[in-house]
Amino acid sequence: MRRLAVPVMLFGALAVAIVLAPLFLSDFQAQQAAYVGIYAIALIGLNVLTGYTGQISLGHGAFMAVGGYTTAILMTDHGVKDLWTIPIAAVVAGAAGFLFGLPALRLTGLYLALATFAIAVSTPAVLKKFEGFTGGGSGKNLFGVKELTGGIAPVHVLGWKLNFNNWLYYLCWTMALVLYVVAWLLLRGRTGRAFRAVRDSETAALSSGVSLAKYKTFAFGVSAAYAGIAGSLFAIATTYVNADTFPVQLSIFLLVGVVVSGLGSLTGVIAGAVFIEFLPLWAQDVSKSPGAPGVIYGVILIGVIFLLPTGAAGLLPGLLRRVATLFRGR
Amino acid sequence: MTRKPIVLATAATVLALAVGASALAGSTRSSVDPGITPTSILLGGTVPLSGVASAYSAVAVGANAYFKYVNAKGGVNGRQIDYKYLDDTYNPAMTVQLTRQLVEQDKVFAIFNTLGTETNLAIRPYLNAAKVPQLFAASGDTSFGSDVATYPQTIGFFPSYQAEGWALGQYMKKNKPKAKIAVIAQNDSYGRDLLVGLKKGLGGGSAKVIAAQNYEVTASDVGSQIAKLKSSGADTLAVFATPQFAIQSYVFANKLGWKPFVLTNVVSSASNIMLLASEGGANKRVLGSVSVVFLKDPTDPKWSKDKAILLYRTILGKYAKGANAKDVYHVYGMAVAYATVNLLKRLGKNPTRAGLIAAVDSMNIRDDPFLLPGIAIKTGPGDHFPLSQMYFQQYAKTGWKQFGSLVNYRG
Repeated sequence: MRRLAVPVMLFGALAVAIVLAPLFLSDFQAQQAAYVGIYAIALIGLNVLTGYTGQISLGHGAFMAVGGYTTAILMTDHGVKDLWTIPIAAVVAGAAGFLFGLPALRLTGLYLALATFAIAVSTPAVLKKFEGFTGGGSGKNLFGVKELTGGIAPVHVLGWKLNFNNWLYYLCWTMALVLYVVAWLLLRGRTGRAFRAVRDSETAALSSGVSLAKYKTFAFGVSAAYAGIAGSLFAIATTYVNADTFPVQLSIFLLVGVVVSGLGSLTGVIAGAVFIEFLPLWAQDVSKSPGAPGVIYGVILIGVIFLLPTGAAGLLPGLLRRVATLFRGR
Repeated sequence: MTRKPIVLATAATVLALAVGASALAGSTRSSVDPGITPTSILLGGTVPLSGVASAYSAVAVGANAYFKYVNAKGGVNGRQIDYKYLDDTYNPAMTVQLTRQLVEQDKVFAIFNTLGTETNLAIRPYLNAAKVPQLFAASGDTSFGSDVATYPQTIGFFPSYQAEGWALGQYMKKNKPKAKIAVIAQNDSYGRDLLVGLKKGLGGGSAKVIAAQNYEVTASDVGSQIAKLKSSGADTLAVFATPQFAIQSYVFANKLGWKPFVLTNVVSSASNIMLLASEGGANKRVLGSVSVVFLKDPTDPKWSKDKAILLYRTILGKYAKGANAKDVYHVYGMAVAYATVNLLKRLGKNPTRAGLIAAVDSMNIRDDPFLLPGIAIKTGPGDHFPLSQMYFQQYAKTGWKQFGSLVNYRG
């Protein structure tokens, strides 16, 4: 049990920091922080699939879209309160991920990347095709819909009066912390071991009695459910979804985020999420010439991968190692 | 007893602080609307600086250059106009986040010149609930002009897509009554509004739309659509597409040996785009194309000595270094900035958001020098269509040539 003491303490400290952070954040910064929480959830999910099970996905934006649209359609057309749509979005997206996992069993490496990329590319077109259902290009606006908690009016939670942005912040980060613990519990035991076995060598895993079909589809399902929750929260936070809300770039950003946070480790997800949310904004501050933000984004990305090949999760152990060798050298 | 002065001093300090604080609180309560300081007015908006639609960012560059020129001449009623524009990559989810940043963090007076239909639709309920003016949305979506009762804070600027389609329909009805028209349209409200307008304009005449094909914004090309339209036997092609796809339409029609008469739309009719479509003069399909126009085209020799276009070149050269003066979107930016300066002047010494909307409801600007002669910016209560007049133009070897008299369609 002592082995757990340090991680639990660190997690507790993180939770306290998250609870207190809005005291030091402006109203708007709280909203940005909420988006960081949303991306963190998606990154945990993608890490389960790509980092732990070794199945690459360039289509996680599509699973976010499934979650986001589930929430938007339930809220606007079926009168379901926003909070109740979150678990439904998780189930719908999880089912979609599980089903996609079946054909994906036959694909490995590059081919799987291409297949998932195809999903990301086709999603906007499919969403526009069924306009009566999805709202098409004009999308679904959730602002001012009575199923949305808050808006311009403050939100009352357990006797506290929160403004919309702070409410979003607490909602997203509560979900993120809970889902973090769930993923951690899932990955530390038998299932996690099976995931890693599949990643490291399918043949070895198979010969040890690990069912590839079972664990690969399960990883797809769990990962997509996480993306679905992230998409659902994204829809609530943005109060709008349309076909261009979940573009191909989002799927790529998520993969970039998971690499930046560190594959096969959950400790760096917040860094990855910060990267996704803020880097495009910082890139704009540097230069506003047409096309320049994209170039700056690319250069910074290359720099990060070059300097931190193992992602943010590898930063601390790497530093410790360096310090250790430095002392040993003397 | 020696402690008395200290107690007194403390009491005095507390009292002073309290008075000071209450005075401060009082001053903030009676203060003016966000974005207004004694020396400045802050406007904000989003445009795509990167991504597929980044060519449109010139509308912000042009507007910003004009504001800087006005500022150099003393600003508006002693205030400088600051215009902060951010990159939304044409993604409505980004538009929402950045617009909230502009409203809640940067505290802009109004959202101005945000580009795109879906992007503006995405922020409209929020801005109206927060009572922040959504000034001159750069989109021809009809709903920005007609939904005044639901969204009083919102107003578009250029002629609606329906109005544009209607004008082209009228042209066909009068000049080519036997035409069989094929339409390539973007699969969203922009493409659809143009088609609806075209059909309205044809209204009852014998010229007819006989085929229509859609494409997705995310598509890579429109080759198969153009082939299908060719096989429909149409003799006229209406291109209701954004620049990249409009250029492809010309190129594919030429490759297939199809020689239709072409109607094209404002968002793709800029001279630099026509030049690309002409493939350096090799593609003759561009010649004879008809479109509508409401801005002075900086490449038209007719305006080379025009005062407004000379001013335009000076301003762009001075305040937007490196900007391409041939790009008509810069002229658009200045035209919309001119109207904005006119509105802000009318608000007087103490501009308020409510005052701005009242002024928006009663615009009658007849001297915007960047618009073609005779075109007025006019609104009324319940009518948020600032521009509804336009001329026709036809593309010749030397560029666009404006012709005919003003046409007018409100709606």
